[in-house]
Amino acid sequence: MTAIEAPRIREKIERPPSLLRRLPTSSIAMIGLGLIVFWVLAALLAPYMPLDPPNKQFYTAFSHPAPSAQHWLGVDNRGRDILARIIFGARRVLTVAPLAALAAYAIGCPLGLAAGYYGGKVDAVISRVGDVILSFPIIILYVILISTIGPSILNIIIAVVVASGPGIARIVRGLTLEQRHLDYVAAAELRRENAPFIMFVELLPNCRGPLITDFCLRVGYTVITIGILGFLGLGLPPPDPDWGTMVREATVMISVHPYMSLFPAIAIVSLVLGFNLLADGVRELSMRE
Amino acid sequence: MIPVIARKLVSLVLTLLAASFLVFAVTEFSPGNVARKTLGPYAPQESVDLLYHKLGLNDPLPVRYARWLGILLGLKADPLQDPALKLDFVDPRGDRYFGNFGYSSLYKASVNDVIWTRLRATALLAGLAFAVIVPLSMLFGVLAGMREGGALDRTISVFGIVATSIPEFASGVFLVSIFVVGLSLLPGTSPLTTDTGWPIWTQLVLPVTVLVLYDAGYLVRMVRGSMVDVMNRPFIRTALLKGLSFRSVVVRHGVRNAMIAPFTVILLQINFLISGVVVTEMVFAYPGFGRMILDASLFGDISLIEAATLIALMVAVTTQFIGDIGYALLNPQIRLR
Amino acid sequence: MTEENIHIKRLTVDLEARRINRREFVRFAALMGLAAPTAYAMAGKITGEPFAPSARAETLPKGGTWRIGTRIKDIKNPHAYSWGGYDSNISRQVVEYLTFTDADGVTKPYLAESWEASPDLKTWTFKLRKGVKWTKGDELTTDHVIWNLKHALDPAVGSSFIGLVHGYLLDDKTGADGKPTTELWSANAIEKLDDHTFRFNCKNPQVAIPEHLFHYPMAILHPDDKGVFGVGAQGTGPFELTEFELGKRAVLKRRTGYWGGDAAIDGMEQIDVGDDVSAPIAALASKQLDGLAIAYPSQYDALKALPHLNFFQVKTAETGCIRMHVASKPFDDARVRRAMRLAIDPQPVLEVALRGIGTIGEHTHCSVALPDFAAIDLPKRDVAGAKKLLAEAGLPNGFETELVVPNDIDWFQPMAETCQQMWADAGIKVNLKPIPGASYWDIWTKVPFSVTIWYHRPLCTMLLGLGYRTGGAWNESGWSNKQFDDTLTEAEGTLDLDKRKALVRKLEEIMLEDGPLVQPVFRNVFTFMDKRVKGFYSHPSNYFFGWKIGLESA
Repeated sequence: MTAIEAPRIREKIERPPSLLRRLPTSSIAMIGLGLIVFWVLAALLAPYMPLDPPNKQFYTAFSHPAPSAQHWLGVDNRGRDILARIIFGARRVLTVAPLAALAAYAIGCPLGLAAGYYGGKVDAVISRVGDVILSFPIIILYVILISTIGPSILNIIIAVVVASGPGIARIVRGLTLEQRHLDYVAAAELRRENAPFIMFVELLPNCRGPLITDFCLRVGYTVITIGILGFLGLGLPPPDPDWGTMVREATVMISVHPYMSLFPAIAIVSLVLGFNLLADGVRELSMRE
Repeated sequence: MIPVIARKLVSLVLTLLAASFLVFAVTEFSPGNVARKTLGPYAPQESVDLLYHKLGLNDPLPVRYARWLGILLGLKADPLQDPALKLDFVDPRGDRYFGNFGYSSLYKASVNDVIWTRLRATALLAGLAFAVIVPLSMLFGVLAGMREGGALDRTISVFGIVATSIPEFASGVFLVSIFVVGLSLLPGTSPLTTDTGWPIWTQLVLPVTVLVLYDAGYLVRMVRGSMVDVMNRPFIRTALLKGLSFRSVVVRHGVRNAMIAPFTVILLQINFLISGVVVTEMVFAYPGFGRMILDASLFGDISLIEAATLIALMVAVTTQFIGDIGYALLNPQIRLR
Repeated sequence: MTEENIHIKRLTVDLEARRINRREFVRFAALMGLAAPTAYAMAGKITGEPFAPSARAETLPKGGTWRIGTRIKDIKNPHAYSWGGYDSNISRQVVEYLTFTDADGVTKPYLAESWEASPDLKTWTFKLRKGVKWTKGDELTTDHVIWNLKHALDPAVGSSFIGLVHGYLLDDKTGADGKPTTELWSANAIEKLDDHTFRFNCKNPQVAIPEHLFHYPMAILHPDDKGVFGVGAQGTGPFELTEFELGKRAVLKRRTGYWGGDAAIDGMEQIDVGDDVSAPIAALASKQLDGLAIAYPSQYDALKALPHLNFFQVKTAETGCIRMHVASKPFDDARVRRAMRLAIDPQPVLEVALRGIGTIGEHTHCSVALPDFAAIDLPKRDVAGAKKLLAEAGLPNGFETELVVPNDIDWFQPMAETCQQMWADAGIKVNLKPIPGASYWDIWTKVPFSVTIWYHRPLCTMLLGLGYRTGGAWNESGWSNKQFDDTLTEAEGTLDLDKRKALVRKLEEIMLEDGPLVQPVFRNVFTFMDKRVKGFYSHPSNYFFGWKIGLESA
């Protein structure tokens, strides 16, 4: 292969038919996307909607908490409007979960790329350390971390990075190993591109199919994780609404006012389902590639 | 093969060591004072100071870790059992033996007295769940994967995705509201004692169901994927072309080959299962390992957290180890590194 | 009985003049050693209306195991207990107390058969019941009792009983290591008269000694057990502890030959239901439990909906004190503390956090449920006034602070959230920091701003003495007020109810003006029991008594 041929090959590989453009052909992906868009819109528009303040306690609604004309989804056990809390809760979860997953990628990707690209000692060190963390049952890792450093948005992000960074690194490493010996990498090396350029500009974009799938799954799982932490009493600080904490606080009422836990639980399930469906759709599409 | 296994074993032990040091570093980093926790909120300051000194809590982290390891391996005597401390802490096994996890400040007892009954309870829960999950997900996975895109595949896949999207705590509260509050068919908590009027098996139904729902959804999809993969391979087509019935092709060739990939995944489920167990045990007040870890973490009971994570890791790492070897045995094309 | 008559006479005069009510008369007469039935009868005679304790004499069905949902905490050292509602409810079925303060606040004989106080209330003579046998057969004697009292008062044991009797039995001193400690004020402070009689010789007058002896750490153990309780421990009570597993369960079996007559039930099982508030509801719904040791406000609605349960409640002084540490800014300024109180309206807190099952607090830790309570005027919520006080304290724009909320008491967070909203109106931004209940006890005396659980005590003066006296062991806010201390000591030694109430009122006023608390509500202790449980009633300290229970067959 000559240096003159290289750009052509690069071009060819860099532009497969765009996943994004083919997305509408997958009904699963579209349903998933629809659910996510619904929650994103709800979160974005929350301040402009005619909602009650999410932390305001309505002492009058207290004795009749069931859904009513004033409170469409009813009020919780402290007289707060459940609809407002769910929608404002979406703001929180849709900020923290994607941010945490992105942060995990920001750490995991470079590590995985380096391990896969350099191999040898770099790979050994990164993989060994990753293996140690991956051998933990994940919730136990979260519980130990959060109960030690305390629940806050930053700390939950840190915990997600620690817990899922190595998993991401492992996946990226595997993908890099697959691509490492393809011609376009060799071509770039011949062009004497530096290592970071090859890793981030050449290799990474070619791994994106599985990574988009993984990212969606991870955001979904992070939503669940935040919910679980809330349910275990390690959730984001009160009184701002947090879906998992809402379920936790309402489970005690489940026999008399089941909707108090039902609604936030449905919110979690629908959002997670959205990410899982989208991931599944993207996976199918990228496998057809 | 033997030297490979030996090398794997060494790396297994190293992983355990590293992981336990990690947990040690994280938990000991927390400001909670071990001495105060051991003695309780109203103990006089002098006793706390004495214990603090005695335990060498001022020493650097690696020193304390080495000491902990020494006690665990039975090389050192546990300082907490020193009668001069007046802790009334007596471990019938003595103060120096292999596997000495020390003293739980939360349960005020030797960790070995606390941990094993709970581990057994959890093993029962997880074992039952596992016994249901594996055949169930194989069955549905194969059914879905043998005809990709068919109606059965669509239905099972959608159910699989929905099931994995429902966190255990949500399915737990839904099941309780239906079967306990609504229908009064099952008990709402699982203390695992018979004198509550409910036989033990009734107490296990809901926790096991919660674990199965979440985990099986994932596993069904894995088996389905693998099955789809196998069914598209040439040898299946050949078999079909040879005139074998679809049924016998699926059973004889498809299933066996499709099981190789999910085998490791199934074993990795142990790790997933342990995670799910923490939440499930919380929902049903199940006296198990997961709830104990949560309580220990919230309390800052370092000895117990250490012991529990070490055991959880041991289970996880061992199953991975078995998975690797089993994978290699099942599939002669793959050799262990 | 001659000396005691002076006290009874004074009380009779007070009741005749209606300076005290009948309830107060009975309680104080009982403290002075008058048998409760006699006291009730006298009260009835004086006021001309029959007055009797609520009748509970029913024949109890025999047999069965009573299953109670609770927390199984450490029970090893009864004299150092700190969870009356949990730990002592296991041991109290086995080991007993010298006296018994019932739900109506009246103190009755228990291991002590009778007692009398000198006219100056400094010398108290107790007579032990005869024929009380330990598990192994030897008889309870004065020596056993004195060993227990001295053991509990040994500073190394760490008993909260010390804080209770500090004012009249103990002196402060400096220990060998230079740290402050305590000792009996006189070698003769606890005096043996004979095998069944002993005496307290106090340095200050004290009315409530019989009540103090029912404080949960003051269980009478067999000296051979060296202060340690557990499976097989000796006791004088109606049950034996046969199984115990921390965090799981405790099993108690009836013992035969109990001095008070054998218990009706065969035994009881106390089962740990965990921190999660919903698990116990499910357990009650599916009849896995007969009832709960303590039910919490968040559980009320769900439990009320279960038709097979009876509801029990009693007014108490149990509360959550939102206390400000006076050593930390800006709470070192009394005006800021007053502003914090002024910004709060207790009524919504009562509704939201306690589901209305409780009483209004006046930020003084003195509850209307207690006999020595004196009503004071609680200023109306005044946001402008609060802002003005803050401005005077140099905080015209308010301030921001962090409130630590232990998460093991379910109603603390709703209370904190409701207060948070009201404080916000006054420009005080309070961020909530929930922490695990267990970790809270590491910091409860140090953290600037937090909520602390305080269980019921039978007297305002007892609560104030434990929590607010300068240098007191449980003085978590570091608050110190000379006038308060002096008034408190005076009140503790005053039997004259008029004078005593006036002193308590003064204490409350000091608390309201200068004190370290925002304390909007008191909780009624309540619980639910299966309708087949007979003889149960709620005790303000969350105590329950297996020998008073009978179980109808299901």
